[in-house]
Amino acid sequence: MASTERARKADRDEVFLELTRSICPVCKRVIDAEVNIRDGRVVMRKRCREHGSFEALVYSDADLYMSQIRFNKPGTLPLEFQTQVRDGCPLDCGLCPDHKQHACLGLIEVNSACNLDCPVCFADSGHHADGFSLTREQVARMLDAFIAAEGDPEVIQFSGGEPSIHPQIVEFLQMAVDRGIRNVMLNTNGIRLARDRRFVDELARLGILVYLQFDGFDDATHRAIRGRDLRELKERALASCADAGLAVTLVAAVERGVNEHEVGAVVRHGVAHPAVRAVVFQPVTHAGRHIAFDPLDRLTNADVMRLLAAQLPEWLEVRDFVPVPCCFPTCRSMCYGFVDEGTLVPFARLVDVEDYLDYATNRVLPDLEVRHALEGMFSASATPGAEAALLSCESCGIAPPDGLADFAGRVFMIVVQDFQDAYTLNVRQLMKCCVEQITPDGRLIPFCAYNSVGYRERVRASLSGAEVEPVVPNALPIQDLLAPTRHGSRTVRARPGDGAPRGPR
Amino acid sequence: MTSGRAQDVKACCSAAYGGAAARYLLGESFHPGGTDLTLTLVRELALGPGDLLVDVASGRGTSALLAARETGCDVIGVDLAPENVAEATAAAATAGLRGEVRFVVGDAERLPLDDGRADAALCECSLCLFPDAAAAVAEIARALRPGGLLALSDVVIAPGGIGPEMRDVAGWVACLANARPIEDVVGMLQEAGLDPRRVERHDRAIGETVDRVEARLRLARALGAAVPAEVRDGARRGLELVAAARRALADGTLGYGVVVARRR
Repeated sequence: MASTERARKADRDEVFLELTRSICPVCKRVIDAEVNIRDGRVVMRKRCREHGSFEALVYSDADLYMSQIRFNKPGTLPLEFQTQVRDGCPLDCGLCPDHKQHACLGLIEVNSACNLDCPVCFADSGHHADGFSLTREQVARMLDAFIAAEGDPEVIQFSGGEPSIHPQIVEFLQMAVDRGIRNVMLNTNGIRLARDRRFVDELARLGILVYLQFDGFDDATHRAIRGRDLRELKERALASCADAGLAVTLVAAVERGVNEHEVGAVVRHGVAHPAVRAVVFQPVTHAGRHIAFDPLDRLTNADVMRLLAAQLPEWLEVRDFVPVPCCFPTCRSMCYGFVDEGTLVPFARLVDVEDYLDYATNRVLPDLEVRHALEGMFSASATPGAEAALLSCESCGIAPPDGLADFAGRVFMIVVQDFQDAYTLNVRQLMKCCVEQITPDGRLIPFCAYNSVGYRERVRASLSGAEVEPVVPNALPIQDLLAPTRHGSRTVRARPGDGAPRGPR
Repeated sequence: MTSGRAQDVKACCSAAYGGAAARYLLGESFHPGGTDLTLTLVRELALGPGDLLVDVASGRGTSALLAARETGCDVIGVDLAPENVAEATAAAATAGLRGEVRFVVGDAERLPLDDGRADAALCECSLCLFPDAAAAVAEIARALRPGGLLALSDVVIAPGGIGPEMRDVAGWVACLANARPIEDVVGMLQEAGLDPRRVERHDRAIGETVDRVEARLRLARALGAAVPAEVRDGARRGLELVAAARRALADGTLGYGVVVARRR
């Protein structure tokens, strides 16, 4: 070399974890994606040859992400698959024979209509004239498809739209109960629960589990996420459920800059309320309708767990949460606790849960009976009461049987669940998804694929007969490509010469 | 007397929960630091296939099996309790390590090994339980070959001893009554011909143990009428002592020590 000054090689500022497949958030074309660790965070990067590069935050704590990968339970085969492998994941849903897990939870959206028009709604529901409403025959076919796949399904959740305003919702719930599905859930905004006591009594008669949207206590939170102040209605709904003896799970959508400061208060409220047995926190899913967001500054499970630990320092630490091994372990974390004199005591401090659910290193050979009981608890199908398996497990019989009835009511569950969107979609996680959307043609489509790949739009179009535009995340870096849809979500602004939008069948 | 009451509580608990439950709730399934700290200690020992590790006070065999699986070494685990040895032996069979890992009933002060036979020794959270700790350390040194390593972890206290409120706790928790400052452990090892090469405090580990004990006591209380009144009363008293233990942990008079030493 002639030059005396030699160039020095620099290190990359990131650690390369994996090459996987994702989709272009704009055209939904399937593209390669890299997952890297940068500045202690897990970030996905991908490039579409038409729409350029995209980056999104996957998990905001790289150490936690890496340590959770061990909690990956071998999947279980469903009794039957509904589709063939043709174009590859995520275009063959579902479930196709390449899918790694059966369905822990099936979802049926009975309508697209809602008595609210929330600014945040992954289902793009509301007071729309062009929606759909399922018939009794369609729901029967969907339940039967679920049973054919699962044999003895664990949980079915009825959702929407707002399912409680479907005129036949009680009949649908009854159909699920009659088919012997163990846990039947209603996902609702609670307005009908607050106003219609007879409806609440019907739910109690059927033993329905109530999954109640409950985002926080500030007026500003309600207005930002639901578009109006629902605080009084929520309390009336809860009081009515308590009165009727219904078990309620509070479900909070959490968004950056909106209600991050309220997660601890929601847990406190739940622990103190006689009807509430569980709280689920979901970072807002950037599918359907939502507030404009920065994909590199979105909330992830790690953030929610840290917020909970910071807001409930006398009750919780991040290590009290256990990654759920039935799905991909970074998708969902759970903390069980029991309430002792008004204090939540995390279950993970009683038993070395991690030793039992570490499938990858298998350092400790666990008692299989205890492992099985813990799998039932730390599962996507866990509903209030799931701890009974462990409590009555002979190997560890934590509580004497006589004490169970009294004690079960004191067990409390906190779930943190991050759904994927078109920015963060990773087929590695998707292929192990165990929460499936059931379609009227009898398919079971992984929830995150349904919401981000284009399935939702196609199913809605076929059910309603109205055209549904392909929905694109309302992300800040692509604002100049976006135009509003008539439902409030975003689609790609039409440009001359554009081809037909891509997507699954 | 507190120790008398502690005995009562122990008896009540095992009566209330029965063997299996007591094992998971109140038993010794957990020592400070758990599997992670054991793994750290095992890695310090630089073991490989064919090496022999002696695990002194091997309990139900969890650490011995972990060491064998991680490093491929052979292990002889020694424990005073025949029921522990029986369980550990069964666990070795389940793990397919019957040939590599053996457990024998024995006293730490008389290890069933020829002089210099062991390549390494492990002693977790038990030194303070031996009636004659110096004799046990001398025995470990005898069994180790020159250059062989010992990894030891134990509850430790401040050089000035524990405060008056902790003396009450010590009445309940056997290992606290005989816990010593880490400097004394180091001195004892040196006297036996074991040169410390790593001396550390892992106080966070014992904080987690206190968390666990507190959770168990709260469970006993939360179970309400399902447990006998004496147990609930015991749990109440135990929770006061847990608070004292937390204070001792915060001011450094209570902690967890790790020492790795090399046989001269």
